[in-house]
Amino acid sequence: MGMTAVEKTLALKSSVASVAPGDVVYPVPDFIMIHDGVVMGAARELDALGIDRLAAPEKVVMVTDHDVIYGSPRAAERGAFNRATARRWGVKNFFDVGRGGHGHIFPMESGMLLPGMFYFDNDRHSTNAGAIGAFGFRMGTEISRVLATGTNWVMVPSTVRLTIKGQLKPGVHARDIGFRLATLLEKGGLDADLDYRVLEYAGDLDQFDLAARAALCSSPTEVRAYGVFVPPSAAVLEHAKRKAQRAFTPLYPDPDAHYEADLEMDVSRLEPQVVLPGGVQNAVDIRDAAGTRIDHVFLGSCGSGMFEDMQTAAALLKGRRIAPHVRMFIAPGSEESTKRMAREGLLEVFIEAGAVMLPAGCGPCNDAVVGPVHSGEVSISTAANNNIGRFGARDAELYLGSPATVVASAIAGCISDARDIDGAFASAGACAT
Amino acid sequence: MRNMNHEFQWQLKGRCYKLGHDVQHAGGVVPNRIIVGRHFDAKEIIPHLFEETDPGFHERCAPGDILVAGRNFGMGPKMNGYIAMQALGLGLVCESMPFLAYRAAVGSGLRVITDCINATDICDTGDVLEVDFRNGYFINHTRDIRREYPPVPDGLLELVELGGNTGWLAQWWQSRKTEATAR
Repeated sequence: MGMTAVEKTLALKSSVASVAPGDVVYPVPDFIMIHDGVVMGAARELDALGIDRLAAPEKVVMVTDHDVIYGSPRAAERGAFNRATARRWGVKNFFDVGRGGHGHIFPMESGMLLPGMFYFDNDRHSTNAGAIGAFGFRMGTEISRVLATGTNWVMVPSTVRLTIKGQLKPGVHARDIGFRLATLLEKGGLDADLDYRVLEYAGDLDQFDLAARAALCSSPTEVRAYGVFVPPSAAVLEHAKRKAQRAFTPLYPDPDAHYEADLEMDVSRLEPQVVLPGGVQNAVDIRDAAGTRIDHVFLGSCGSGMFEDMQTAAALLKGRRIAPHVRMFIAPGSEESTKRMAREGLLEVFIEAGAVMLPAGCGPCNDAVVGPVHSGEVSISTAANNNIGRFGARDAELYLGSPATVVASAIAGCISDARDIDGAFASAGACAT
Repeated sequence: MRNMNHEFQWQLKGRCYKLGHDVQHAGGVVPNRIIVGRHFDAKEIIPHLFEETDPGFHERCAPGDILVAGRNFGMGPKMNGYIAMQALGLGLVCESMPFLAYRAAVGSGLRVITDCINATDICDTGDVLEVDFRNGYFINHTRDIRREYPPVPDGLLELVELGGNTGWLAQWWQSRKTEATAR
């Protein structure tokens, strides 16, 4: 019996010939990621046990992306604690404030995370690794055991395969696929449970660049997938070879691999989606949400924070301004993206349009530490999810859309279809009043 | 080579407490304030176990008693309730659990088995149950019913025997220090 992508990866990293769903293995990771919000908890847990050294400090990647600009004295205190901890543990790969960006984006851009790799992460959005053909597994607070011992137990998850059929229409984005997929899985239409499964994409995937592949990883995670895998295309492999910081071997599923479920989705007639408040499973075609007046827009997050997402936004915003009553925040995925945006004129477009640039990282998508919404306000964003309270006030209305949809909405002042940008609402804030 | 704890009891015999389907950790197992307040000390959590659905549970239960839950128990990666169950010496048998809830329970050192199909159909609160979590058998002595269920996987026995993540790490560190001293 052949193996799926995750089974092959876990077998290789655990030095066994084969694995099957339900097996317990101890994979040796290529690296170990921990973000700024949880270093303190892990350090205190290990300190209480007297554990004063890490198994493999050279593998540890510490990332400041959740609270980058310290909106509170407590955040500044945590930053200082994290720096002292990095020194104490001997962590050299410390991407602190202004040094790396979003931990689930910059490693793919910079060639640190490469096809075929496996890593442990405290955070569940490590599923983004699937965009480049790798796996990152969430350990939550158990990251402390990985830090101390170099590994932890993993029960091999089952794999669900989703075959994408057809090409997206112009103006429709990979995030729209994720929103529709989550809705079909949760509300009927596709029969599979993603809880602790790996979602492996197949089919017409060459149309998706690396940024689109990151978008494909986002919404399945919000409906409990433990991993997502997009088999690397020639273009993705070319990117990885160009950027690689070390040698790598891509892994692909065996042709006779066993899948717990085999799903198909025809995307050729998919319309841009808008997710109504309450969770990613609430997607509707954009015409059913268009016209809703908005106050707040956010572009960024692990699902929509790559340079190509910024390009999509800049192409729409160039020469236009966001509506007068809207405030818009943009968080690029990496410091390298920010620099490139400066070089290529994107920053100027955003600032001239009236948007506010945030440092590379999670932006308001982490506990609304920056750019929150007020009670009763309406937001549309590319955040990972729109669960109640994600941007602060629990009675705010949070919508989700693709980068193109949120930017078009920012310009119009209400939820709007980017395909209409030159027609129906021009650029002057069609819903400004 | 696994660190064995020869004192550890994989077999429990006690009274059944039956729970329904879709019991959420927040509210169904412990009040949400215990979770958001980040209480991880068993002594602090125990008085609040099942507080909102079965007040006084912690005073009535005894070590060896077994919770039998329906489908989708726990719902989420929070550990607080399992820490209290483990400290009280209870066991947990579930028809199904989201994996991260199962992981949290095992990580708390709780004797737990899941995927026990229709377990809630063959017992009721108050029945005398005997469950061997290591070998996967379930006996209802009151009704004279015996079933076999998937046991705790071999790869997780040591983790549970040593009391979950913290106990495992403490033991691991101690044995490393002992080895270093011996060399």
